[in-house]
Amino acid sequence: MKKVLIIGGGGGGLILANHLDTNEYDVTVIDKSDLHFYQPWFLYIAFKGSKRKISRPIGELLKPGANFVKDEISTINLDERKVYGSRKGVYNYDYLVIATGTNPDPDSIPGLRQTYDEYGDYHTSVWSSQKLWSNVSKFKGGTVAIGQASPTCKCPPSLLEGAFLLEEHLRKVGLREKTRIVFFTPFPRAYPAEPMNRVVEPMVKERGIEVMPFFDVDTIDPQTKTITSLEGDSLKYDLPIIVPPCKGTKIKIIPETVQDEDRFIKADKKLMKITGYDDAFAVGDCNTLPTSKTGVTAHLEAMAVADIIQGKYSEFNGRINCPFDTAYGKATFVIADYNNPVAPYPPTRLKHMMKMTMARIYWMTLMGTADPIFDQFFKFTRPEKLNKKYATAD
Amino acid sequence: MDAVKIIDSRGSACPGPITDLAKAYRNSKVGDIMELWATDKGVKADAQAWATKTGNEILEVKEDPEKISIKIKINKR
Repeated sequence: MKKVLIIGGGGGGLILANHLDTNEYDVTVIDKSDLHFYQPWFLYIAFKGSKRKISRPIGELLKPGANFVKDEISTINLDERKVYGSRKGVYNYDYLVIATGTNPDPDSIPGLRQTYDEYGDYHTSVWSSQKLWSNVSKFKGGTVAIGQASPTCKCPPSLLEGAFLLEEHLRKVGLREKTRIVFFTPFPRAYPAEPMNRVVEPMVKERGIEVMPFFDVDTIDPQTKTITSLEGDSLKYDLPIIVPPCKGTKIKIIPETVQDEDRFIKADKKLMKITGYDDAFAVGDCNTLPTSKTGVTAHLEAMAVADIIQGKYSEFNGRINCPFDTAYGKATFVIADYNNPVAPYPPTRLKHMMKMTMARIYWMTLMGTADPIFDQFFKFTRPEKLNKKYATAD
Repeated sequence: MDAVKIIDSRGSACPGPITDLAKAYRNSKVGDIMELWATDKGVKADAQAWATKTGNEILEVKEDPEKISIKIKINKR
């Protein structure tokens, strides 16, 4: 039996493992942690104080026949087809899939480590989200500076989702009039993809959220409570909510030329093959594909790689489908692919229900049992269709 | 002279080519020449706005059926 070794028990790794025929392939998932987290819920821990349990043991999320090994990988040698674990020795493979996600890097920006440890964020972990909720619930008014520290970040809609949910929370507790909310972003506008910005910008304005565009965080001074940007602007805060930059895997990969300067793994954008290799793939947030770092891309890339490994023709078309909570009970989806720009898809209550349903059935999606629902949804919401339907006068 | 650094953002719709440009800017130094490749039509206006804001210079904008390429000189870091 051919050996498929999957490094990482996140969405990409588990969906891939669960789509391989374990009667034909020897499938092993390795992760340094026992637990898998539903990361999109960090947002609701941080801004609503949700106490929902969002983790499950990785071993319970794999179908029978697929193996889970808890080990921390130190080195991957693509030329020798060897993977070195720090606990259980050396692993060989016929196919390797790296699905290690991203690593937050609060140490790469001066002042961010202290700010992050003190205030938390809504992206990184349960701990950091609980930390932020304790700060948000203690907050008595003043200026909130909220945004991403660098352009490389997971889940593009989540940044504004945070600002929207914070605004809703402050209004509910009667602090909105005492608070200035400043949303800073390295992009030219509140939402980076222009068609979606057209949809959400009126909401940003209506809710009185100030936007500082082209603001890429250079330094933070916790003493004077000031953030300075690479572009030369500065912003004073009372409550800083800063999502740290994302970096690639900490694992040493030989040859190192397959990684970019932030350690993301270079891979073909349709086949996810690591540049120069036919037997090694990089799936999800850990790769350099020109698409969003989000659960749905990891999911679709994993399904394509499962097909490729099993000898079926398949490729990833760049489809994104990012749920976008615009607060007050409404949501939309950011939908595009490699050939079609983001559609200006308006928020509705129904889409909010769909986002909340997705959170409930997430565990099924990892097992592959929700595939037929997704197939239908993706067919009905093809970006070319939505772009036609919601086209505006320009 | 150093080689031109190619930033290939073709196919990127969201967050889009400006992400890759801003990311390359962080790792750049004064005097660097970067060439941004994109398919997203909005890139021309966005790159111009970015260059104006950051004090860098757009040397050339070329369009062919496969891509839009924008050559940028880093004057300020």
